[in-house]
Amino acid sequence: MNAPAGLDLASIPERIQSEVQRAIQRSIKGVEYFSTSGPSLGSTPKDVLHSRGTMSLYHYRPMSDEIYRIPVLIVMATTNRGYILDLVPGQSFIEFLLKRGYDVYMLDWSAPRPEEKSLRMEDYVLDFIPDCVRRVQADSGEQDVSVIGYCFGGVLSLLYGAIHADGPMKNLICFTTPIDFREMKLFSNFSDRRYFDVDRLVDSVGNVPPEMILSSFEMLRPASRTVSQIQLWENIWNDEFVKSYRMFDRWATDTLPLAGEYFRTITKDLMWDNKLFNDSMSVGGRAAKLESIKVPILHAVAEHDHIVPYEAAKHLIAKIGSTDKEEVMLKGGHVSLVAGANAVKRLWPKLDSWLGKRST
Amino acid sequence: MTDKTNDPVAMWQKMVGEMEKGFNSFANQAMSSPEFSQAMNRAGGVAAGAQKQLGELMEKYLVTMNLPSREQVTGLAERLQSIEAQIGEMKSMLSQMAANSGISQGFDGMPRPPRTKRPPSENGGQS
Repeated sequence: MNAPAGLDLASIPERIQSEVQRAIQRSIKGVEYFSTSGPSLGSTPKDVLHSRGTMSLYHYRPMSDEIYRIPVLIVMATTNRGYILDLVPGQSFIEFLLKRGYDVYMLDWSAPRPEEKSLRMEDYVLDFIPDCVRRVQADSGEQDVSVIGYCFGGVLSLLYGAIHADGPMKNLICFTTPIDFREMKLFSNFSDRRYFDVDRLVDSVGNVPPEMILSSFEMLRPASRTVSQIQLWENIWNDEFVKSYRMFDRWATDTLPLAGEYFRTITKDLMWDNKLFNDSMSVGGRAAKLESIKVPILHAVAEHDHIVPYEAAKHLIAKIGSTDKEEVMLKGGHVSLVAGANAVKRLWPKLDSWLGKRST
Repeated sequence: MTDKTNDPVAMWQKMVGEMEKGFNSFANQAMSSPEFSQAMNRAGGVAAGAQKQLGELMEKYLVTMNLPSREQVTGLAERLQSIEAQIGEMKSMLSQMAANSGISQGFDGMPRPPRTKRPPSENGGQS
């Protein structure tokens, strides 16, 4: 009997032996997996410059003998923790920036406390971000500040930039930032105003629980969690795979609650009325039109982003008032765009080459 | 080396990948309907109501057991937070004083590097 085309019979014993060894390794490493806690994340040396309730401002200690004049403030998404940008040495965006000579600050969030349920969009855009910018200016001694916003941190940065068009923001970088919320089809359907009573939810629970935020993210790809666990088991013999899985899994499930009033505004103004896209957004009575932003802007989007599909992000550059503006689409998903091996070779060098020449 | 098309492990992995894509796509279609939104939000509304009731019940139970209520713990947390904020302000003032006296240093007391870096293209490709 002939072997099927492409099947090398001589390699079968070798393959069986390899699979048996992997099976043994799986059992050993499987025990290890459950008895260890995984890599330590977010460990690039930093100082807490300021902390107030849900808001924390970090300054990372320089790793270069000479730094760019303009400091960089990273504004993290309010649903997740900032350590996605500071995983482990060699895979840390923060460490990359520091080694390339940037002076890096991060506005990160912790879970809003029950009494912070009344925080509004105004608190984030007109208080937290300006407060952090002022502190970055005071700490660095520089008036100009570059801002990097990730996901909803990008939305907050856009609102801040649109309202504070006269400065001091010098450059703006958005990562996977949605502006057309109708195009976030599933989120849009989940929050359909005919069935989703946001007032009842917020009035009942105060802050929106992290489980609800996490479930809505996971519902976008309902099979993926199960499949990733299958993949973990298959690759549990592979230390690098396990390390990477643990880092991303820990971060993805470490979702933050959202302050109730803030969530109410996101739902009504952005999800329902699409005000940012329609140029009718205002925060605390101050108009926030994208055309008001005139600073250089780079928008990085991911080709396979299932959370912020390209359709939801693609009009940003066209609507911005800047003349120096660029959109770059890179391979990867919503998270792999900014962190992990994909980001190391794609986004980070692109960002460095764009921002370096605008940071002097 | 075996051909990927005949490698049972590769075939299994491909099958799992295809199943994931297929299921996600099917579920996404189902979740796009108004009926799904209606059903999901009906269930969510009930859960939110139940959570509120449970919270109130727990509050009463803690009072009965002479344990601190959430409000009291929150009060303590607020006081701690206020102390933390004051320490932060003091550090910030110290740092500002140091900066005003011409010492360029951070919270860690280490001098800061000069802000003179130029992009690689401007200094002959050196980063």
